[in-house]
Amino acid sequence: MRTWKDRMRHSTRGLGFVALVLIVAAIFGVLEPRFLSYVSLNGIARHMAANGLAALGLTFVVIVRKFDLSIAGVAAFCAMSMGALIAAGWPLWSVILAGLALGAVIGGISGIAISRFGLPDIVTTIAVGSIGTGLAFIYTGGRSIFQNFFTSGITDLNDAKLMGLGVSMWLLVAIYALAWFVLSRTRTGLAFYATGENPMAAHFSGIATRRFVALAYVLCAMCTVLAVLLILAESGTAETNKGANLMMPAYAGVFLGAAIMGGTSVIASFGGILLITMLLDGFALMGLPYYYSDGVVSLILLIGVLAFSDGARGTLQALRFLFWPQKSTKPTAKGSDA
Amino acid sequence: MGAPVLTASDVCKRFGPVQALRNVDFRLEPGEVHALLGINGAGKSTFIKILSGALQKDSGTIRIGGEDVHFRAPEDAIRAGIATVQQHPELVPDMSGLDNIFLGRETASRSLMGRIDREALEARADALLARFAVPIDLSQEVGQMSAVEREAVAILQAIAVDGIRVLILDEPTSTLTDVEREDLFALMNQLRAQGIAIIYITHQLEEVFAIADSFSVFRGGACIARMSVEEARSSGVSLADLMLGEAVGDIFPPKADPDARGDVFLEVRDLSLTHGFENVSFTAHRGEILGLFGLVGSGCDELAKSIFGVDPPDQGEIRIHGKPVSLRKPREALDAGIFLVPGDRRTEGLALSRHSLFNVPMANLRRAAGGRWGLKSRQLRTDIQRLTDQVALHPPHLNTPASGFSGGNQQKIVLAKGLYSEADIYIFVEPTVGVDIGARAKIYGLMRELSERAAVIVVSSDCDEVHGVADRTIALHKGRQVEPESGVFSRDDLLMAGIMGEGSL
Repeated sequence: MRTWKDRMRHSTRGLGFVALVLIVAAIFGVLEPRFLSYVSLNGIARHMAANGLAALGLTFVVIVRKFDLSIAGVAAFCAMSMGALIAAGWPLWSVILAGLALGAVIGGISGIAISRFGLPDIVTTIAVGSIGTGLAFIYTGGRSIFQNFFTSGITDLNDAKLMGLGVSMWLLVAIYALAWFVLSRTRTGLAFYATGENPMAAHFSGIATRRFVALAYVLCAMCTVLAVLLILAESGTAETNKGANLMMPAYAGVFLGAAIMGGTSVIASFGGILLITMLLDGFALMGLPYYYSDGVVSLILLIGVLAFSDGARGTLQALRFLFWPQKSTKPTAKGSDA
Repeated sequence: MGAPVLTASDVCKRFGPVQALRNVDFRLEPGEVHALLGINGAGKSTFIKILSGALQKDSGTIRIGGEDVHFRAPEDAIRAGIATVQQHPELVPDMSGLDNIFLGRETASRSLMGRIDREALEARADALLARFAVPIDLSQEVGQMSAVEREAVAILQAIAVDGIRVLILDEPTSTLTDVEREDLFALMNQLRAQGIAIIYITHQLEEVFAIADSFSVFRGGACIARMSVEEARSSGVSLADLMLGEAVGDIFPPKADPDARGDVFLEVRDLSLTHGFENVSFTAHRGEILGLFGLVGSGCDELAKSIFGVDPPDQGEIRIHGKPVSLRKPREALDAGIFLVPGDRRTEGLALSRHSLFNVPMANLRRAAGGRWGLKSRQLRTDIQRLTDQVALHPPHLNTPASGFSGGNQQKIVLAKGLYSEADIYIFVEPTVGVDIGARAKIYGLMRELSERAAVIVVSSDCDEVHGVADRTIALHKGRQVEPESGVFSRDDLLMAGIMGEGSL
């Protein structure tokens, strides 16, 4: 699909991203040596798995140029629903399937309301999310659910390791790989992107744009369910505020990744969420109170998007021009030899 | 005439490796309508942008009323008396024409809290309208206005500033019908009478003789000729030859041999759509180009979209290869073998921020995936390379976003998309709006080529285009079909049929 020139440009951005990650890791490593310990890195991997799944779902919605602000509400309701089912003694696999199905239904409601009936996306998802937040209380009136959690096996999702890496990380990698294949290597992916780029032209090209918009919301809600499942696994209880901290990192990951990589994609979201999770965990390790985390993430998001915007690039180039007025022509060393 | 109002000499502009303007000399007399001609890429847009302050010249001088000027921003140009109306003027659709005209300069005060004095505003509007008697209701919302009324609002907005001496109009007629064009010309005449000089970009060469006093021709970044219209008329020089630098002859390909006409691919019987068209019937054959002429509002656009399943017809029958079909959405039409080259390529045809590799396969993703799910990237690339070569995309860059191409080349990308979809009925709506003459000839040639294996229908409000390219023509007037009395329309009969609805039914 691409020329080598394109690839170069792409990989330059990718390399820049890797460099940024290494620099952030090095800074935290110097300020707080525990940051690079095995325990801390494992924690980052676990948190990244949950944040990353939410970001992946959001990626689909952002590709069709919509917003989903129901992530927190969907997460809360599905967390309590799955907790209630675990407490009721359902086997773990059926709990996960039920949770995914519930997520799909909620995402479908938002998606169809927005695509089929033309409701505004932001208002609709705020409403659906708020309903979810409210419904999360119907099982216990707000008390946490923990019965059967340790016998159900859900905590293995957090604790079990495969080849030194937590299973949650494997889950993340597997689902990202699948999403990458679908979005960049199949006609479904092209249709998703076309729907976002120009819905009218996509419609005239025979693409069922409404279906892809609705599908994006369904996928977003299902990914959110998987993300909150990992949070349940880590904490060992279901509480109504579980998932409240999923939304901001997800948005930050998707938009920061897109800003750095020059477009929304699965790979961009992966990089974005890695960076965000490192920053979040790093600050937590350094003793930043948890209630600042959303603020910090949002601040990083703004700085990141600004720094990589076209306007900033122009300023940067102007600065470069100031310091290196001409393209550095190598001084002719040979002349002095002669 | 007295001293020129505007002169440019030795103006140069370079974009990276491309010399967009080389030593341009230009002169504009007060109160003249001066047409700026040239194919896309000849440098006229760059020149206009420099005059209006949107770009800065690299070297050379520009004088207004004898004084050297250098514009760093559009405001500088406006202050110096040069107003510009863009090709697609940005107006606020929900506001009235009057509010649009004075938008941003309702008061003399620069304060955010400055009160808007309605009476003073209306007085200013009255003064403006006293100078230019536009027959439009400026109190209605711009969104409700016709194309020519919007253009008039944009022009009034541009000249509502005191001291405007030069008005630049960038392809104002490209979206207008013949009748609307006359209204615009009337307004231009009023401006000329007020002593405002007009620089006017157009691709429609006959307009030069209809409205302009003089013209300049740009080619390859240089201004190669300046002539008065009388000179051109008496010397019989061909404007198209001047623009292209070689004798072009006819831009239309030869007509088809009537005997070579193949099977009926598409048949439409008594098709009707409320507020669109009534009882339209025709057949389209392989091996010929069918022309459908109609002004804006004639129902032509609606008819094309209706056949393509965008707005399915209320009544009537569509047959493809003899079989009746019911097409309720574009997907079904594409599956039935119809491809629509839409009239508005920027909103209906292309994802502008994406390159050809993204745009071309969009209407046939099944083929892009070789019938399976995963894309066949290498095959896709070769296919698209071949198609962009075939349509002569210029520059031939597969990775440049569609927005980086000229109008004509954007249309070629849509054409490549149509070719990739392998349809056997092609409907072209307004195929050459905003397309330069070189690209037009190429597009007409491709239509003829396409007609060898497919049925081609050209729907246009440009009578010469329909008459020039089509083998057989029908006209649509206020939703009703007009057919020739004697088998075929002459050019003039076709024009009358489309404008007046005359002809046998």
